[in-house]
This record gives sequence, C-alpha cells and structure tokens, in this order.
Amino acid sequence: MVNLEELKKEAAQILKEGKVKYIIGFQRSSNGLLPVPAFIKKPEDVEKLVWDPACVHNLTLFLQDDKNKKTKEKEPDERPVGIVVKGCDSRAINVLLQEEFIKRDDVYILGISCENTGVLDEKKLAKKLKGKKAKKAEFGEKDDFVITTEDGKIKIEAQEVLSERCLECKAHFPVIYDVLIGEKTKRNVEDPFKSLEKTESLPAEERWKFWKEQIEKCIRCYACRSVCPMCYCDECVADTISFVVTPDTPAEEKAQKIKWLEKSPVSSENFVYHFVRAIHLSGRCIDCGECERVCPLDIPVRFLNKKLEKEAKELFDYEAGFDPDKPSLVSSFKDEDPEDFIK
Amino acid sequence: MAEEFEPKIVAFLCKWCSSAGSDLAGVSRMEYPPNVIPITVMCSGSVSPLYIFSAFNKGADGVLVSGCHPGDCHYIKGNYYARRRIALVKKLLEYVGLEPERFQMSWVSAAEGVKYTQVIKDFVQELKPLGPQKKLRRTQ
Repeated sequence: MVNLEELKKEAAQILKEGKVKYIIGFQRSSNGLLPVPAFIKKPEDVEKLVWDPACVHNLTLFLQDDKNKKTKEKEPDERPVGIVVKGCDSRAINVLLQEEFIKRDDVYILGISCENTGVLDEKKLAKKLKGKKAKKAEFGEKDDFVITTEDGKIKIEAQEVLSERCLECKAHFPVIYDVLIGEKTKRNVEDPFKSLEKTESLPAEERWKFWKEQIEKCIRCYACRSVCPMCYCDECVADTISFVVTPDTPAEEKAQKIKWLEKSPVSSENFVYHFVRAIHLSGRCIDCGECERVCPLDIPVRFLNKKLEKEAKELFDYEAGFDPDKPSLVSSFKDEDPEDFIK
Repeated sequence: MAEEFEPKIVAFLCKWCSSAGSDLAGVSRMEYPPNVIPITVMCSGSVSPLYIFSAFNKGADGVLVSGCHPGDCHYIKGNYYARRRIALVKKLLEYVGLEPERFQMSWVSAAEGVKYTQVIKDFVQELKPLGPQKKLRRTQ
C-alpha cells in the first residue's frame, strides 16, 4: 500500500532543505473525480498532495515548461524540479534523458508505485456507475478501488475499471527515481499488445474503413500534441499552415517553408498529421495514454503508437524508456534487422 | 475503349547508387515503363517518412524508396537507418489499411541498371490491378 504521508513527509523535507525549486504533484480539484496538477513551493502546502487511482495525468509534460522558462531567464534557478511520477511517467523521464532534453540533475524524482493496480479509465467507470457521478476514487485494501458517489461508497474490482494501458503495463513501478514510495511489485501481463488484436485481426479493407471513420472525425485541435510529454519540437510540420505566400515572398523562403499538409480537417490531411505524430513517437512513446484521454472526439490515437511499439519490440527488440543510456530506436541499427520486405 | 490505368510512382533514389543505376538503365537504352517520377535524394537514410506520406497525400499511386545495398552506403550506414525507419512506415501504412504493394523499398546499386528496370516493371504490374490510390489522396 502506498502511504501518502510518506510522500508528503519527503516532499516537505526536500522543500525545507531547498533541494528543489518546487514540486509537481497532484491536488484535489473542483471537478471532483480527477485531481489536477499541483505546483508546490512551500513546505506547508504539501498537505495538498494527493495520490489516488484518478491521478491519470503524466506530469512530465511540465518539464517542457520548466526548460522553456529556464532558457528565457537571465539567472535561472538551477535547482532541480521535484516531480511525482508513476511507472509510465518515469519511463517518459528516461526517454527525455536519453534524448538529452533534460539532465538527470534537473529533476528530483518522487516515484510512486502503482503496485497491483493502476489508474482508472473515466469512461469505463462512468459505464460501471450507470450515470451516477463519482466524486472521489481511492485505493482499496485488496486490488480494488473505493469510489465515492452521491449514494455513498462503492467497492469496484480494479480490473473492471482500469484503463487499457494499465492492463498492458510492463512495469507498474518507477524505473528511475530518487525516492520510491510503495513496493516494486511484479504483475504478470499475458499480452502487452492485447488491445491491438481487435483492429489487427480485421481484413485490410475493414481496417481501412475503421481508421477512415476515426481519423475523419479529427478536428485538428492538436490536444494530443499539446498533452504529449514527448512532443517538444520548437516547430511542428503541422504548423507550417501559418505561412503566407505573397508575390514578394522570396523563392528561398518558399523552399524552406514547405506546406506539407493543409489546415483543413479533412481525412487526407488528418491522416498525414496522425502518421507524422505516430512515426515521430515510434520508439519514444511510453504509452501513458494521455493523447487518447484528451481527445475530444474519442479517436483511438493510442493504437497507432501502440502498433509501432509492438513492431519495435518484434522487429528490433526495442522497448522505450527503460535505459536512458541506450541509443534510440531510429538512431541505431543492427546488422540483422529484417529486410525481407526489400527487393 | 477505356484507357488502361497507368499508375504514378514516386521514386526516392539515392544519389550514389540507385539514381546512378537508373541512369545506367537510361544510357544503356533499356526499356521500362515511364510511370516513375524519380526524385534524387542524397541518401536513402535522408528520406523522411513525411516525404512518403506527402507523396501519397499529393496523389502518388505508389512510392518507392531505393538505396545502396547494405554495406555499400556512401555514408557508411545511412541505408541501415533507412531500413529500420522504412520498415516502421510500412507497418504503419499497412495497419491503417493501405495496400502493402503501394509502398516498396529496394536496393539498387550503380551497376544494376537491369535490376532497376525490373523493379519498376514489377512495381507497375503490381499497381495496375489495384487502381488509383484514393485513400490518402487529397480530395480538394
């Protein structure tokens, strides 16, 4: 069982000692069920910190803001940022370290183990509660969740409302941390790519129909891009849309600013955007599932990443986020990489 | 009589091998289908997946990426990187339901003019029964 008091004590301690600038964690929100990110600067504020099965966010996203802020400041505070991470989030830190986006000294990692459970899926929970509004979720005694609703508390088996990614998670505990809260438990995952089965087993034409229907829905709000801790490019190909060509535009500028895809949210352009997103995250996506959660149109964008994760594992025996010292998937190769598809 | 469908192929050829191979086919007066739009790139490893998506988006019926044989890369290992990346792109395109025949990769050296013509002939033959590529093509 994860002891929240332990986390609070540790957080207060490092803030008091001035080891960290601030701590990014979770706090209660007015929304009810889902906690929101908390930025805690004072030791007395650590009481705000919470840890429950609704802590779905991947807080490593905010390391981007911290880095951006640091580059703009004249005399930046070089102390690390304290950050609360789950197993999946810790792998994101590993990828960021691998890419040298951040340095190890930039973060003080407060790792929390999900132990035998994980985080819940809001949609699954809503279905389970049949319209009743959940106010709060807590970890139960025995691999279950205690959900508080208007009518009182209900116990629900964790397996029933766990998000898909947690059911397929390979490491339920942080793989990199300064302090670990909770135990490193090993849970057997039969098939880490089980959710893909449904789409993969379809014949090609059906698969196309499925994806066309899904991708067509996209309104290009770029929420999936904004929420991704790995999407930190200064300039995105999807943004070349702001480029205006006039008769005075020099040829050189036109050549440099290619309009790869149109702004209009039509199927063909959406496909290019989602392909680029998926391929850019190949070997980097750690499956935190945030892109799918934030999608206002419920497009299963996670599948595209998951598919490439599967191929990386099967073709190249590569898993993202476990070793920050290894070269990344597309910046390395082996002599025995498959080439049966090449003529 | 309805005209036979002529597929449009965009071929990314590496400057050092495949492009020279296509040149050899040309200067040797070998015959092969005129369906290819060759684009010379510095290395097959420099072909960004975006080029491929963009080619399909702008109406290519098939895309070919061709480079030096493993071990022959002018930049020592560019084609090894390409091999990995292209494999991922191919899997992704197949996953969303694009016909696997539409996207191919080949190794063609500067001496293999005959192989180049063969690759193109085969490619065109495979594309003809599939008809125009409408799935990823821009509609407006």
